[in-house]
Amino acid sequence: MFTEFTDVVPSFWGMLNQGPMTLTIFLHSIIVLPMYFIYKSEKKRMGH
Amino acid sequence: MSEDYKEPESVWTSNRFWSRSAGWVTGFSAVLLILLTMDTLDQITIGSAKDLENKVTKRVPSASVINYKVTYEYSDVRGHEVPVIGEKELFFGRSDYSEAEANALLDKGKLTSQAKNCMNCHTLLGNGAYYAPDLTKAWLDPAWQAGGVMQGMTGTTSVDEAMSVFLQNPDKYASHARRMPNLGITPEEAKGLVAFLKQMSSIDTNGFPRNFNKIQGSTQK
Repeated sequence: MFTEFTDVVPSFWGMLNQGPMTLTIFLHSIIVLPMYFIYKSEKKRMGH
Repeated sequence: MSEDYKEPESVWTSNRFWSRSAGWVTGFSAVLLILLTMDTLDQITIGSAKDLENKVTKRVPSASVINYKVTYEYSDVRGHEVPVIGEKELFFGRSDYSEAEANALLDKGKLTSQAKNCMNCHTLLGNGAYYAPDLTKAWLDPAWQAGGVMQGMTGTTSVDEAMSVFLQNPDKYASHARRMPNLGITPEEAKGLVAFLKQMSSIDTNGFPRNFNKIQGSTQK
């Protein structure tokens, strides 16, 4: 599932491009988790 | 706000939630794409003759790579073959091409490949057609190496000479089931094309194309 990062020029951006798993974890942490906090703050603002 | 406007009862039906989310995703994606583009530009930037002398590995080596031996070696770590630039090697009798000379040859080869429309049949770095063999790693194809069928057929003893002789009269050689037509390539154009093919083969393409010499109709089985 996780393979060693072996790009020619090691870089953070190269790591994101290693396969579907790394990309999925990255996109979920960066896009979905903040949306969860937006959801929470909106809910609080509505007084629920 | 109109009189019949009602505050949304759920976060899921509130415009604010969706617009904030969309703002975050769009803004973040824009920044990510810019950073990825900068990273890509860095990686596809061609190296210099100095890099080759100092054994600095670049994904796209300088045109001066024609002065060096290039081999295709399987990397256990990366799980595919990687072009390895070795010691100096004669290219049409010389191994001291300056960067300017090498660049001129590369330009000549690239312009010729466009003028002769190689991509109408061949594939170069993923672009082109599948009628004829993929040329991305042509220089490294065993068919062109010592003991390969192309050197024997053209009566030559090196890859550069074999390619040059073949390119000037491809219709004379039954290299594939589909024979290449004679495109009137001159000796100078052939030399440029061979430099172009050698430099292209030395590009680290992450193992692409896989099984490049196993194409149907190829002399390699």
